[in-house]
Amino acid sequence: MITTTTAPIRIENASRIFQMGDLEVPALVDANLEVEQGEFVVILGPSGSGKSTLLNLIGGLDRPTAGHVWFQERDLTALSDEDLTRYRRESVGFVFQFYNLVPTLTALENVQVATELVQEPLDAAAALELVGLAERAAHFPAQLSGGEQQRVSIARALAKRPDVLLADEPTGALDLQTARVVLGTMQQLNREQALTIVLITHNPALAALADRRVQITSGRIVDVVRNEAPAAAADIDW
Amino acid sequence: MTPLNRKLWRELRQNAGAMVAVVVIAAFGAGSYVGMGSAQRILEASQAAYYRDYRFADFWIDVKKVPLTTVERLAERDGIAALQARIVFDVILDLPAQTRPINGRLISFPERRDDTTLNDLYLIRGSGFSTDRDEEVIISDAFARQHDLHPGDRIHLILNRRREAFTVAGTCVSPEYVYLVRGAGDLIPDPEHFGVLYIKERFARDVLDFQDAANNIVGRYTDISAAQRTALLDDIERRLEPFGVFDAIQRERQASHRFLSDEINGLRVSARVTPVVFLAVAAMALSVLLRRLVERQRITIGTLKAVGYSNAVLFNHYVRFGLFVGLLGGLAGCLVGLGLCHALIDVYRDFYHFPRYLMRTYPDLMLHGILISLAFAVLGALRGARRVLKLQPAESMRAKPPEKGKAILLERWQWLWRRLDFKTHLALRDVFRNKGRTLSGIVATALAGSIMIMTFSFFDAALYMVAFQFEHTMRGNATIGMRDARNTEALQEGRALPAVLFAEPTFGIVCDLRHGRFSRRQAIVGLTEDHLLTMPRHQDLTPINIPAEGLLLSEKLASLLQVEPGDTLELKPIRGRPEPRSAYVAGTVDSFIGLDCYASLSYLSDVVGEPASVTGIQALIDDHQRPAFFEQIKQLPNAQALSLNRDAQQSIEGTFVRSLRFSLGTMILFAGVIGCGSLINLATVEIGDRTREISTLRVLGYQPTEIAGIYLRQNAILFGLGLILAVPMGYGLVLLLARAYDTELFRMPVIFRWTAVAWPLLISCCFIVIAQWVVYYKIRRLDWLAGVQVKE
Repeated sequence: MITTTTAPIRIENASRIFQMGDLEVPALVDANLEVEQGEFVVILGPSGSGKSTLLNLIGGLDRPTAGHVWFQERDLTALSDEDLTRYRRESVGFVFQFYNLVPTLTALENVQVATELVQEPLDAAAALELVGLAERAAHFPAQLSGGEQQRVSIARALAKRPDVLLADEPTGALDLQTARVVLGTMQQLNREQALTIVLITHNPALAALADRRVQITSGRIVDVVRNEAPAAAADIDW
Repeated sequence: MTPLNRKLWRELRQNAGAMVAVVVIAAFGAGSYVGMGSAQRILEASQAAYYRDYRFADFWIDVKKVPLTTVERLAERDGIAALQARIVFDVILDLPAQTRPINGRLISFPERRDDTTLNDLYLIRGSGFSTDRDEEVIISDAFARQHDLHPGDRIHLILNRRREAFTVAGTCVSPEYVYLVRGAGDLIPDPEHFGVLYIKERFARDVLDFQDAANNIVGRYTDISAAQRTALLDDIERRLEPFGVFDAIQRERQASHRFLSDEINGLRVSARVTPVVFLAVAAMALSVLLRRLVERQRITIGTLKAVGYSNAVLFNHYVRFGLFVGLLGGLAGCLVGLGLCHALIDVYRDFYHFPRYLMRTYPDLMLHGILISLAFAVLGALRGARRVLKLQPAESMRAKPPEKGKAILLERWQWLWRRLDFKTHLALRDVFRNKGRTLSGIVATALAGSIMIMTFSFFDAALYMVAFQFEHTMRGNATIGMRDARNTEALQEGRALPAVLFAEPTFGIVCDLRHGRFSRRQAIVGLTEDHLLTMPRHQDLTPINIPAEGLLLSEKLASLLQVEPGDTLELKPIRGRPEPRSAYVAGTVDSFIGLDCYASLSYLSDVVGEPASVTGIQALIDDHQRPAFFEQIKQLPNAQALSLNRDAQQSIEGTFVRSLRFSLGTMILFAGVIGCGSLINLATVEIGDRTREISTLRVLGYQPTEIAGIYLRQNAILFGLGLILAVPMGYGLVLLLARAYDTELFRMPVIFRWTAVAWPLLISCCFIVIAQWVVYYKIRRLDWLAGVQVKE
C-alpha cells in the first residue's frame, strides 16, 4: 500500500461489472482519476453512464471488480466491510438526489444521526446554521421544502467534518433558484474550509462551478478538463 | 435519547396498530405461562400445606374386621410413624327435603382430636363434637351447602338396621376428600348425591358392633424409601389377611389425591405448551411486521449505512422493535396472568376443597414470563430484521425495481379467472406473491381453528364418555350396592321392591391380577350369562356378551397388564383363598371411565373358589313409582349405596358443561387473540405497504368500504385456507389429547363430529368481521392525499 502520490483520492484502472443473471453489464471500465485535496470536481455524464458507480466506489459503498481505489494511501478495495464502514463514517459525507432524510426525525435529529458517529463532530445546530436552517431545526422533513431538505442533508454530511463530500445529483430534484442556494452552500464550504467535493450530475450547467470537469460516457472517462476560473453558484443558469 | 432511539420510538407509535396486535398475542402467551403456572403453584402449595398440617395419610387398608390390639402391634413396626384404626361404612341417608335416598360415607372420628390425628378435619362451620351428646355428626361442607344443612340441623341415618337421628355439629373439609368423590370411578364430585359424615368413634363402635375392632386402617410412614413403603404395606397386608383385607392402597392410588395431582400435572403441562403456541404466533407476526418495515425503509437503511452506521448498530436498531414488543407483551402478560390465575382458582374452588387457597403472586414466574416473551419476540425480530444485514447501501438507495408482475398459477384457468372481479384479482395476486405473509396468516388461522376444533371435540368426547358409561354400558336406571350378601336372598329382596321392572345381580370381588411382572389390583364384576342391564361394548357400541369362561378386560387394563385375548393371567382374590388361580383372557372391551374386568358369575365363583353372592343389583325401575321405591330402599337392610344412573349422568354432564364452558370460553378467546391478532397485524402491515395504491384508489373515487373489500377477500382467503388446514391439525390435536388423557382414571375417546368443525367456522367468521372492522377504520383514517404525493 505504498504510494508516492499526494492526491487523497486515486482511482486506478477501476472497473465495475454487474452480473445480471447470465448477463455481464460493465458499469465502469478501466477508470483512472485523481482528486486533489480541496478540489471541487464535477463528474458529468448522462443517465446510466456509470457516474453513480464511480461515486459509490469513491464513497466506499461498493468495490470495483478490478483495479484499485485509494484514499489517503489506503486501498479501499482491500478493506473489510467493517473497515469500509469506518472509512465512510470518518472520512466521507454524502449528499443524495432525494436527500434521504429519516422521515420520523426532525432536521436537527437528522443531523445528529451523523454527529453521533464521530469523535469530534460539528455541533449539529451549528451545522444547520452553516446551511442557513437554524430556525427550521425542529421541523420534520415533510414540513420542509425540497431545497431545505437538501440543505439538511448537506448539514448532515458536513457535521461529521468529512475529508470529502460526495454529492449525487444534489440539485436533481430542485428548481433553479433553490439549486443555486444549495450549490452556493457547497461552493462556500469548498472555498472557506477547503473541503474536497466530488459532485456528479447529468446537468452540464453545473460543470461551470468545478475546478475540474470529468466527462463520463458508457462507463468510460472520456475527458478531463481543468477550469481555471470557476463560476459563482449564483451565476449558473439552465 | 439518541436519534436512532427517537426514530424507534416514533415508528413504534406510527405502527401502533400492528404492534398492539402482536403485543396482545405475546401478552396472552406470557399471561398463560404466568397464570397457569401460578395456579399450579397455588394448588400445589395449598395441597402441601393442607396435607402437612392436617396429617394426610400415606396408606389406607380396608379390612372386614380387625381387632384394635392387632392394629396397635402393627403401629410399633419400623417404618410406621402413625397408625389409626377407623370404622368406615357406606350408608344410605334420609334427608328431610329429599325423597330420594342419598349416599353417604360414614367415618369414625375421635371425639377429641389432637395433633396426631391423621386426615384431620378442618371445621368450616359449627364447633365440632360436643361432650354431652353421642348422636352428633360433622358433614362435608360442600354436601351441607348443597342440601342447605346447618349446625344444629337433624338428619337420619340407618345404622345397623336402626334409624338414628343425628345433630349436625359442624361442616368440614378433609385432606382425604379435597375432591369429594367416593372412589376413582367417580369422575366428578357430586355433593348433591354424595357426602362424607364423621361420627364419634366410641359411638360408632357401639352402634355398629365394632367393639375393640375396626374395618379401616390409615397410616403414615417414617422417612423411608418408596421401595420400603411398598414392601412394608405388602407385609402388613399379609399379616392382616386372616381378618379379610379388601384393599390396601398407597397415597398415589387414593382417589381425591389422584384427581388433584392429575390436575396439577395437567396444569404444569398446559403452562408450558400454551405459551409456546401464542409466542410462536407472536414471533411469526413480528417477523412479518419487521420484514416489511425494513423493506419500506430500505432507502433510509442504505443512507444510514452510507453515513457510516455499521450493520450491527442498524440490526440492533430493528431488533429493538422486538425487544420493545416482547417487553410490553411480557409486562401486560403479568396482568393477564394474574387475571387468568384468579379465574382458574375460582373454578377450582368448586371442585377442590381446601381450608384455604394459599393465594400468592410469584415474581419469579412473572420474570420468566417476561423473559420468554422477550426471547420469542427477539427471535421473531431477528428473523424479520435479517434483511438489514443483506442490504447493500449503493443498491438499496436505488429505486426499487417494480414488483414482478408475473401471472399467478390461478390465472391459467382463464374461465375461472375472468369470472372474478378485479378486487379478487388483486387480493389473490397479493396472497400468492407475499408468501411469507400468506404463510404466517394461514398458520395463525389454522392454529386458531384447530384450537377451537380441539375444544369442541373435547366437549363432544366428554359427553360421549359419560353417555357410553351411563347409557350404553349401564342400561338400568338404578344401581344398588349391597353389603356383603352371601346368598341370592338379596336379589329377591331387590326384585320385590316396588317399581322394579327388572333386576340383575352383580358380584364384585377385588383380586390381584398378575401377568409376568405386571400386576394390578382390580375389582372383577361377575354377571349372569343372560345379562342385559350391564352391557360391555366396543367403542362403536357393538355389545359384547360375557363369555361362559374367561375374563373380559377393558383395553386399558389389558394394556397395563400387557395381555391379549388368549393369554393367561394369575388371579388372587384379596380375601378368601390365598393361593393364586389362573384365568384366561377371553376378550377385551372399551371403557372410558376407570378400569373394568368382567366374567360370568359361575366362572368367577369357580375361579375364586367361593359361592357367588350378590354385591350389587342393576335395576330398571318405573320412573313413575320412584317415591315408593326410594321409601323402600331406605329401609332395605343390606343396601349400602344407591346410584340413579340418569341422575348421575345429568349431574356429571351438568358439571362438565359448566367447567368446560370456562375452558371453551378461554379457548375461543385464545383462538380469537391468535386469529384476529394475526389478521389485524398482517392487514395493517399491508395497508402501510400499500399506502400509495390505496391513496390512488381513493383519488380515483373508491370508497373506503370498497377498498376494505379487497382486504376482506384477502382475509377470507387466508382464513379459508387456514381453516382447511385446521381440520387435519384439529384432528391431530384431538388424537394428542386422547393420548394425553389416557389414564387409569379416565380416557378421552376420539370423537370428531361435523359440528366441531362448523362451530369454529362460524366463530372464525366473527373474527374476520372484527379484523375487517379494524381494517376499514384504518383505511378511512388514511391520509390519502399525502399518500399520493409520497416520493419513493
